[in-house]
Amino acid sequence: MVDWRLFDPLIEYARKRSMWIVAFCTGCGGIEMPPLATARYDFERFGIMPNPAPRMADLFLITGYVTPKTLKRIIITYEMQPDPKYVLAHGSCPLNGGIYWDAYNAIKHLDKYIPVDVAIAGCMPRPEAVMDGIQKMMELIETGKADGWKRYRENYEYYRKNQDELFGEGWRERTARMWIPWLMKGNNRGEE
Amino acid sequence: MIETALKVLFILLYATFVGFMFMGIIRIVTARIHRRVGPPIYQPILDTIKLLSKESNITHGFIYDFGILYAVGATILAVMFIPLGSIGVLRAYGDLILITFLLEIPMLGIMFAAMSSGNPWAGIGAQRALLTLLAIQVPLGFAVIALAEYYGTFSTYEIVMAQQISGWSIAHFPLLLAAIAYDLVLQAMFGKEPFDIMIAPGEISLGPMVEFGGKHMGLLNIQHAIALFAETLFFSNIFLGGGVVTAFSSPVLNTIAGLLVLLVKQIAVLLVATFMAAIFPRFTIDQAAKFYWKWPTIIAALGAILASL
Repeated sequence: MVDWRLFDPLIEYARKRSMWIVAFCTGCGGIEMPPLATARYDFERFGIMPNPAPRMADLFLITGYVTPKTLKRIIITYEMQPDPKYVLAHGSCPLNGGIYWDAYNAIKHLDKYIPVDVAIAGCMPRPEAVMDGIQKMMELIETGKADGWKRYRENYEYYRKNQDELFGEGWRERTARMWIPWLMKGNNRGEE
Repeated sequence: MIETALKVLFILLYATFVGFMFMGIIRIVTARIHRRVGPPIYQPILDTIKLLSKESNITHGFIYDFGILYAVGATILAVMFIPLGSIGVLRAYGDLILITFLLEIPMLGIMFAAMSSGNPWAGIGAQRALLTLLAIQVPLGFAVIALAEYYGTFSTYEIVMAQQISGWSIAHFPLLLAAIAYDLVLQAMFGKEPFDIMIAPGEISLGPMVEFGGKHMGLLNIQHAIALFAETLFFSNIFLGGGVVTAFSSPVLNTIAGLLVLLVKQIAVLLVATFMAAIFPRFTIDQAAKFYWKWPTIIAALGAILASL
């Protein structure tokens, strides 16, 4: 058999140089993504490509505050990505709530629900700062320290417990079935 | 026997490598049109390595895996039938209709896989792709008829040889019309911008590709590279005079020169497609079907009528 570990440097290099972003723009940080992708701060130089499908994505940018309603979608999108996947929290809000520190409806610590590899502070961070975060992410991938996906797999009980505490047990099924009564009855809003 | 196997291996490696370079060229040229720097030219290779090295893969059943392999296999078979300069394994059997047919088979394979994933976006994408496939058949058929009528043969290799004597196909007016129609069709076959309705990034979240991740997408990247190579090669062969060089005395030099000539012609075809893709917005599917059944069909039919006079 071929010893695949021989190819590890090549694979790490390829992972580092072709991170595809899932186009999931939460909050105001979504506005900071187009300047990164266009002519002035072109991030395609590093092989980064915005991609609308979560199945192809590696890098998940959380760009701004996270409400519980968005967090459900974030978790589902995160779990849909195939395994070496990296999360970059962008802005102050995913770190500690930012200016929404006393909001009843904003997540204060994103790291309790999905593992974050690199965080960029700022409100909003300049595109240079995001580039710096991406460089940091590349370094971490090269040295094998970007292991959020491994942590999520190993500490799944912890993350699952926090998610369930927030949303209640069986939230996936309830979210999926949320609109069925509304569709059936006409004007009656679903759960939430 | 060994020689044929070596030839097959060479064509396969050459087609994959050059196809990846073509994908890189498309991305660089698009970036330069946007005044960006763009990725390095070997970026698609890195993407493919990354996709193939994913540690978790999803599958939605047998057809989901089989459709991808079917698409890759059909593309490889298409490449084998097209004369590549003076190298060719099955070039004596490569007639126009067979190659045109084989170049569309991969789309069906991708459709199988996409439909079996059960994702509604993939379903919509598959419907759009099949409608596009239906729409391009009409001008494509007329273009093939014009060629066959003009040269009196369906064999691609004989058409290449006839162009050695009578000049390139696009130098003759009826075939120029056919070439224009075929070039418009090529835009849909590449999945490039005015007619990238089946993929439609942003509009229907990548269409049929939406559910492919990891190794499936890596194989599809390889398939896309070979398909780009095959389609540009077919166009250069039937309309731009192919790559038969007899200037040198040594056959090896002739072969290499032929490959280089073909490469230049293929890149020319590719650049025309990229420029069109960079400046035109996307059509909706009904507009695309109407367009293909109107202008390219009229042009190609005119070409076919003039060629048969």
